[in-house]
Amino acid sequence: MLAAFPAVAGSVAVTLTDQNGKALRDAVVYARPVAGTRVPIPPPKQVAVEQRDREFVPYVSVVQTGTTVTFPNRDALLHHVYSFSAAKNFEIKLYSGDTARSILFDKPGVVTLGCNIHDWMLGYVLVVDTAYFEKSGSDGRVSINDIVAGEFEIHVWHPHQRAATPMKLVKLDARANTLFDFTIDVVPRKKPFKPALDGIRYK
Amino acid sequence: MRFGNAFASLRTRIVVFFATLLVLVQGLAFLVVTTANNEIARDSISQELEVGERVFLRLFDQQRGQLEQSARLLASEFGFRQAVASADRATILSALGNHGARASASVMLLVSLDHMLLADTLHPAAPPELFKHSYLTAAAEASGQATGVVNIDGKLYQLVVVQVNAPTTIAWVGVGLAIDDKTAGDLKSLTTLDVSFLSQQAPQPWRLHASTLPDASRGALVSSAVNPPGGGTFGVSLDGQDYLARALSIETRDNTQVVAILHDSLVRGFAPFQRVSRAFLILAVLAVVLSVVGSIAIAQNITRPINALALVAQRIKAGDYTEKVSVAPTGEVNEISALKASFNHMLDGIARREKENLRLAFEDHLTRLPNRAMFHDRLTQALMLAKRHGQPIGVMMLDLDRFKYVNDTLGHPAGDAVLCEVAQRFRELLRESDTVARLGGDEFAILLPSGDPVRTGSLARKIQQALELPITVEGQPIDIGTSIGIVHSPQHGVDANTLLRRADIAMYAAKRAKSGFAIYDERLEENRQDHLTLLGELRRAIEQNELRLFYQPKFGFAKKDSSGMEALIRWQHPTRGLVSPVEFIPFAEQTGNIKMISRWVIDSAFAQCGVWEKAGHPLRISINISARDLLDKELVPYVAETLQKYAVTPALICVELTESALMEDPINATQTLKSLHDLGLKLSMDDYGTGYSSLAYIKDLSLDELKIDRTFVASMQNDPQSAAIVQSTIDLGHRLGMVVVAEGVESAQELLTLNDFGCDYAQGFHVARPMQASEIIAWLLTNHET
Repeated sequence: MLAAFPAVAGSVAVTLTDQNGKALRDAVVYARPVAGTRVPIPPPKQVAVEQRDREFVPYVSVVQTGTTVTFPNRDALLHHVYSFSAAKNFEIKLYSGDTARSILFDKPGVVTLGCNIHDWMLGYVLVVDTAYFEKSGSDGRVSINDIVAGEFEIHVWHPHQRAATPMKLVKLDARANTLFDFTIDVVPRKKPFKPALDGIRYK
Repeated sequence: MRFGNAFASLRTRIVVFFATLLVLVQGLAFLVVTTANNEIARDSISQELEVGERVFLRLFDQQRGQLEQSARLLASEFGFRQAVASADRATILSALGNHGARASASVMLLVSLDHMLLADTLHPAAPPELFKHSYLTAAAEASGQATGVVNIDGKLYQLVVVQVNAPTTIAWVGVGLAIDDKTAGDLKSLTTLDVSFLSQQAPQPWRLHASTLPDASRGALVSSAVNPPGGGTFGVSLDGQDYLARALSIETRDNTQVVAILHDSLVRGFAPFQRVSRAFLILAVLAVVLSVVGSIAIAQNITRPINALALVAQRIKAGDYTEKVSVAPTGEVNEISALKASFNHMLDGIARREKENLRLAFEDHLTRLPNRAMFHDRLTQALMLAKRHGQPIGVMMLDLDRFKYVNDTLGHPAGDAVLCEVAQRFRELLRESDTVARLGGDEFAILLPSGDPVRTGSLARKIQQALELPITVEGQPIDIGTSIGIVHSPQHGVDANTLLRRADIAMYAAKRAKSGFAIYDERLEENRQDHLTLLGELRRAIEQNELRLFYQPKFGFAKKDSSGMEALIRWQHPTRGLVSPVEFIPFAEQTGNIKMISRWVIDSAFAQCGVWEKAGHPLRISINISARDLLDKELVPYVAETLQKYAVTPALICVELTESALMEDPINATQTLKSLHDLGLKLSMDDYGTGYSSLAYIKDLSLDELKIDRTFVASMQNDPQSAAIVQSTIDLGHRLGMVVVAEGVESAQELLTLNDFGCDYAQGFHVARPMQASEIIAWLLTNHET
C-alpha cells in the first residue's frame, strides 16, 4: 500500500518545554493534513492500555480514529475502567486479565480514563484523526517521520495543559526535517494518594 | 419614759448592743456570702460558657465533617458521576434530591467547573446562573473541599462543597444543612446553653436567624449583639433576665459576619445559692431573736442586783447601815454574789469607820479624854441645862508646870506617859457627871456641871495634892505641878467662849503668882489690859530713856565693905511714876521684849561700871538675866562687845539667874552660861532654895555665888528649920568654893545671925536701899570710911 504513494517523505522534529523551560514529557504532537493533502490510510491498529500496579500504563496514549483499544489487566485484582468523556463514554465493569472487551475509539478527542474502584487511577487516550502523531519522552522531543509532502496543521497537546495551544500550519517538503519548538503552560500534577498494596492504609 | 432614759438603762444598752452587733455581723456575713455566691455563680456560668463554647465548636465542626462526608460519598458515587456526566438537568436534580434525602441535607447544589450553578434543590426550576458563593468552589478547586456558612433566601446554611472527580474534576457538588431553631435546640441539648445565630451583611443590621430563646427575648439579643465583643464573656439583659454570653464568629468574609451567641441565664446559676441565702436569712432572724431574748435575760440578772445595791447605797447615803444586801443562796452570777458580799463588807467597814471617826473627832487619841471640841460641846450643853435649872457651873483650866522640861530632857514618849498618868489622876478625882478634857499640849480643862466655888476650890486643892506624888516614868520619878484657873457660871459668864477665855486668864494669874490656883477676878483682866498698854509703851520707854538702873549695895562681912551691888531696873513712867519690874518684866518675857530690855541693862550697867572703874572705884555689879536671854545666841557676843566698848574688867560683872530660867532649856542655858564664864564674868544663882536647888547644876555650872532666898532669911529668926537651911546652904556654898549672899536682910538681928553663920554678903533694906548711880559714891564714902 505504501508503494502507491511517493517514496520520498519528510519529517517533523518538535521540542516541547513547559513554562519553566523544562523538557515536557507525555506531550502529544500530531499533524493533520489540511484539505487537499492526500495521505495514505493506514490499516486499523490494536493499542493496549494496561492496568499495572493500579495505574494506567501508559499514562498517555495516542490513537488514530477507528483504533480499537484493549485494557489488559496486569494486576491480581479487578478493575472497573470507565470514561465519561464526550469522545468516548464507556464502562468495562469488574474484570481481570485479558477478559475485558476492546473499545473502538471512533471519534477524535480526549478520553479520560478512570477506574471506579481505584479513584486515583487516571489515564488519557488522545484520539486524533491522523496517522502522524507521536508522544514525547522524558527529553521532551518528538519526531514524526515519513510524512508525505503537503500542508499540515501541527497540534500539540498535554493532559495538564491550562489551555489549548494554537496549532501551527506548515507546509512540509519531502526529505525535509522541519523543526518546531512548543512551550505548553501546564498545571503541575499532584499525584493523588495511592494506598500501598500490602494493607490498606488511609490518610 | 423618754427614749433617752430608756437607753440609759443598762439592760436596754446590753440588748441593743448585742442585737445590733449580731445584725451587723449577720448582715456583713450575708453580704460577703452573697457577693461570693454571685461571683461563684458568675464564674461557674462563665466556665460553663467556655466549656459550652468548646463543645459547640466541636459539634459544629462535627456537623461540618458529616456534611463533607456526605458530599464526598455523593461525589464519588459512580451513578451520580454518570448522571453529572450526562449533563441531563432532570437526572442531575433527581440524583441530588435522592442523595440529599439520604444525608438529611437541607440543600444540594451542583456547580460547573466554570462556577455556574447547574442545579439547586431549593430552586429546581431556576435556570443555570453564576454561583453566588463561588468563593467556596474556588477554595474547593484548590483544596478539594470547602465549607462556609451562607445565606440563602434569608436562611443560614452550613454548606460544604467538594469536587466531583471522574476521575478529573468535572463539577462541584454542595451539601448544605439549614441552621434553624432545631439546630440551635440540638446544640442546646448538648451544651446546656442557649444558642442563637445572628448574621450581618454590612451595612444591613444584625439579623437573628435561629435561637433557643423564646420569641420575646430575641429582639433584645439582636440589639445586644450590635457590637458583639471580640471575645470573652459579656453580660446581657434579655426580657428582664440577666444572661452571661459569649459570641463566636462562625463566618467572617468580606462584609458578612455570622456569629453564634452562647448564653446562659444568671438566674439559673444563682438558683442553688438563693436556696442557701434563704436558709441563711432564716438562721439570722432566729439568731437575732434568740440573742435579744438571751441578752434580756442576762441583763436582768445583772440589773436586778445592781438596782438592789443602788437602793442600799441610797440608804447608806442617808446614814442607815443596818440593812444589808440580801445574798441569794443559788442561781446568781458569781460576780454579782461577790459584789454583794463586798458591798456588805464595805457597809460594815463604813459603819465602823464612821464610829471611829466620830470618836477621833471628839476624843484625844493619847489620853482617851474628850478633846477641845467635845469639851466645848459639853460645856455648851451644860450651860443650856444650867440656864433652865439655875445650877452653878464650874470650869477649870489646867496647865502643867515644867512639862516642856520633861519633854525636852526625857523625850516625847515620857511626856506622853506623864500626860496619860495625869489624865488618870484627874479621872479618879471626878464624878461621873464631870468632864475632864485635854485641850492640847499640857493643857486640860474640867467641867463641873454642878460646881459652886466650894466644890471647885476643894477640887483644885485635891488636884494639887494628887500631883504632889511624883510620876514615875521609866523608873525615874518626875515632879509635875499644875496651875489652875477657875471660873464660875453664871458669875463669870454664860457662854462657853467667855468662860474658857476667863479660865485661861485665871490660870495664867495662878502661874504668875505661883499660887497653884486662882479664881477669875475682873481685876486680872484689868491687869492684863494694863500689861498690854505697858507693852506698847515699853519700846517708847527705851527710846525715850525712861528706864533707870538702881543699885543696891551688898555688905561684905569679911572686909566690912560694900564694893559689890545689884543693878535693879525701874521704869520712870511719865504718868504712873516709878513702875516696879514685877509689873512689866514677866510680860516682856512672854512677848519677847525682854531681849531689848536685857540689852539696855547690859549696856547701862557696863557703862556705869566702866565709869566707876576709871574713877578709881572698881565696884562689882550684878545684873539679872532672864531665861529668854540664855537662849539668845547673840547674847555672848553682845556681852563681849560691850565689855570691850566700856573697857570693863569682866570679873567686876556678875550675872544672876534663877533656877527656873535654867530649867526651861538646861542644855542651851548651860552652854550660854559657860561662854559667859569663859569671858571672865562671875555667875550667881539667884533665889536659891525656892526651886529644885539642884546641886548637880551648881557643880556643873561652876557658879561663883549663891544667893539665899529672902523667905529663908525672913523666917530665920523664928523658924529653926529655916535657920538650919540658911546655915547649911552657907556651908554648902563655901564647900563648893562659892561666896554666899543672903537676900532680904531687913534687921540688925538678921545681920548678926548671918555673920554668925559665916555668910559672906548681906543684901537688903537694912544694908542699903536701891539708889541711883549718882548717890552710890557718896553713900559708900559715908558708910565705909576707910
